[in-house]
Parts: sequence; C-alpha cells; structure tokens
Amino acid sequence: MRPTGSIPRILTASLLLSAARAAADGPYFSSSASAIWQDNVTNATPGDGVLGAFTLETGVDVRWLRSIDFSTILSSGLTATAGCCTTFGGLDSFAFGPRVELRHKAGLGPLAPTLSLGLEADGVLFGDSYRSNLNVAAEAGFSQRFGDNLQLVLDGRVGACAARSDVFSGGFRSMGATLNWDLDETWRLKAIGGWRDGDIVADYAAERTPHGWVPIDTGAYNYAGPWQPVRTFSEPFIAYRGRAQTWSCGAGVSPALGRHTSLVLEFVRYDTGAYDRYVDNVVSAGVVHHF
Amino acid sequence: MNHLAAITLLALSALPACAENTVRVLTTDGAGKPVADAVAYLVSLDSPAPVHPPDRPVEIIQRDQEFSPYVTPIVVGTRVVFPNRDTVQHHVYSVSPAKKFEIPLYIGDSSGTILFDREGVVTLGCNIHDWMVAYVFVLGTPYFAKTGADGTANITGLPPGRYRLEVWHPRLAAKVGRELDVSMNGEATQVISVVLRPDRRIRRAPDSAGPDYK
Repeated sequence: MRPTGSIPRILTASLLLSAARAAADGPYFSSSASAIWQDNVTNATPGDGVLGAFTLETGVDVRWLRSIDFSTILSSGLTATAGCCTTFGGLDSFAFGPRVELRHKAGLGPLAPTLSLGLEADGVLFGDSYRSNLNVAAEAGFSQRFGDNLQLVLDGRVGACAARSDVFSGGFRSMGATLNWDLDETWRLKAIGGWRDGDIVADYAAERTPHGWVPIDTGAYNYAGPWQPVRTFSEPFIAYRGRAQTWSCGAGVSPALGRHTSLVLEFVRYDTGAYDRYVDNVVSAGVVHHF
Repeated sequence: MNHLAAITLLALSALPACAENTVRVLTTDGAGKPVADAVAYLVSLDSPAPVHPPDRPVEIIQRDQEFSPYVTPIVVGTRVVFPNRDTVQHHVYSVSPAKKFEIPLYIGDSSGTILFDREGVVTLGCNIHDWMVAYVFVLGTPYFAKTGADGTANITGLPPGRYRLEVWHPRLAAKVGRELDVSMNGEATQVISVVLRPDRRIRRAPDSAGPDYK
C-alpha cells in the first residue's frame, strides 16, 4: 500500500498523456485560487478535540481535447494543486496528477444530456510525510440542462488511496449532485448534495500514559482499523481509520467577473456517521479563471 | 427641344433620387435606449420585390468561442460560410425549421457553404460550447438593414411605394410593424419601440477548473 515510486508512476502516466495529446487541440489552461475554512479538520466528535483550519489553495490545470466522433471528446491533461494550511503546517500539501475524460453529448443542442467517464490520479505530498499518498479515482458523470438557466450535474466516483501510513489509506465510493441556477449571465446559485461511503480518518484527542498515547475517549477503541499518534495538530491526537457514510449538503454562489473568470463562494456541511458522529463545515471563497 | 431638355433633365434628376430613397429606422426599447442587432425590413405592399442573393457567401466567424456577428440578415438563396478562427474545434448546428444542418467538428474553413433557402429565423449553436449562439434572419425582401449600437438602420435604394415596416430582434417579445409610404426623394425616419425579453443566454463563465466545454 505504500506509494513507493509514486512520482515516477505519475510521470509515466503524464508522458503517456503527452503522447495521447498528439493531433489534439490545446493546450488549454485554467487556474484557481481559494481560501478555505474547515471548522473540524480533525474529524473529531464534538467536545473531543474539534479544531478548525484555514487553508490557502491554488491550482493549475492544462488540457488537450481530441474529437473521437461528432459528439464525443477525449480530454486529457494534468492538474497541480498546492495547499498552504496556515494553521497546521503538517497539512501543507502539493498534488500533481493526470486526468483523462471521455465526454459524449447525446444529441444536438444545449438541452441534450451529456455523459462522461473519467480517470484521475494524483501523487500528494503532505507536510506530515506519513499522510503523503497516491490516489486514483474513476468517475461517471451526467449533466442535463433544463432551459438556459438550470442545469443538473450528477456524478459517481470510486477511488482508492495508498498512503505512507496505512491509517491514511483506503477506498471510497461516492455520488454527488449539483444544481446550477443562473439568475442571469453573471449570477449563479448552486445547490450541492452528496453521499460517500468508505474509509475515513477520525482523530481523537490523546494523553500520554505509562502505556503510551491513548485516546481520552476510550470509545475510540471501537475503530477496528489501524491507528497512529499524530503530531499534526497543536495538541496530541490519535488518528483512527474506520469506515463510515458521509452525507453532505451545501450551497454556493458564483458571480462571473467576465467571460473567463468567476468567483466561487461555497458552504458545504459534511455529516459523518462513524463510531461517533462528527460534522465538518467547510466554507470556501475562490476565483477560477480559464485562459 | 426645350421640352425635350426639360424632360431629360427631369428624368436625370429623378433616377438617382429614386435609388436614394431611404428609410431610417431607429429602434428603441421600452426605456428609450437604442437597440442594437435588430433587423428592420420593408415588405412592398404594391408588388413583391425580387431578391438577388450575393454572389459570394456571407461569413459568420467563430472567434474567442463566440459567433460573429451575433445577428446576420440575409435574403433567401444566400450561401453562408462558417470559418472557425479559434484554435479549438466547433460543431456548428441549427435545429430551426427554416434550416436544419450541422457541420461536424472542424477548425479553419468549414468544408463548404450552407444554402439558406427558406425564410425565417435560424438559431445557430455550437454543440461543444453551449453558450455560443447566433441568429441568421432569412428574408424574402431585399430591403433590410441591421441596427448598430446607436439603434439605427438605414434601408436604402427603395423605390417609391407602399411598404410594411417590421422589426425583428432575437429577444423580441411581440411583433411590431407599421405601414408607410415611401415617396420620391423621400428620406424618413421611423422610430420603432420594441419590448424585449430578458437576455437569457447560457452562462459562459466557469465555476471550476478543467475543460472549457459544457
């Protein structure tokens, strides 16, 4: 499960993508920058070490498009994202990986539904090296417009993550839905919902005993998965891997700043029913630009 | 000889005057602001005027992932070419009853011209970039002009006679028009007030990084 040699693997995939981009349109660049506040970055249960964190994140994406037939496009490219957690340096991260997506439009016109299949992989380096991982995911998507100003986007994902520490490894499957409502050409409102089932990492406040670090809440022992003390946060924690279902819902607003640029403001609430229920509220404000 | 000279002089002065008859149409919205991209056209009520399609095809260009011009008035029988000046492929299509066609993905000059052989409004789109939209207004009269940013359109070369003046715009809420007489040496300004629907186009601005198609 250790991502030994992950960077070479990603580079190999990138090279393959570069070969695939021959005779394709592009490159097309897009970039994003956002400020993110997460009120429970420890995934802790209430009263058991809930800590918030503020992260500045920036990313760049480059794509090549290639026509497969009249209605199908193959998109391939690379994505790099850097995150700076101003609260906990161990969560600073850099991710880099390839993307491939096949998109088919079933008919002519904006009201024709669009189907997509995608693969993505990322090598992620964290300030706390045991969190560094290689993750892969497959995605199926569907989007449908209902007029000029309403669009429904559905996606289903399956993925796996292999980290340096088994605690931070695992798999997941998820489904998401986004409803975009364009009030006009400038203002977009978004309603967001999702479900995820898979491995999670919950952190429990810990204390040192003659037997080593133990969770203050002994209920944490109900997690059957691997665990390890972590020094990521300002106080001692023990990270436990478990399986859980997470439901998410949120809303956003995205004012366009031009044809190629928009602000994106979002709030999403994640409610996870692990051994103990914990809730994350994530607020983000960012800007997206397509060159 | 004096009579002949007088008649000749009269004829010479009348000929250019006949060709110079102009109706200037100022199109405004409900707030009195000028409306651009409206097509003002005159239909003869006396006898149908023949239309003569241009020898060369009319161009509707795709640049910066938009059509240009947004509105193109043409007469029946005109051929239109759709050169793609972008570096990304476009898939131009229309499902309008007046002209159904599609030009599959291409860059540069399209493979051929499209003949617009029926009157009516043809809405153009790109099947890759849903926000791209433009209109071809196919007319059965040779007397038409498109308004500029100042809302005016000059319809020139009108023979004297009775006409029906109509204005069309992609967002026109209700048909507008009136009858008018065009007299010799006439140059009249017609002010047409139109009610426009809200401009509801598919938003182009992205809200996530990644491929620029929707």
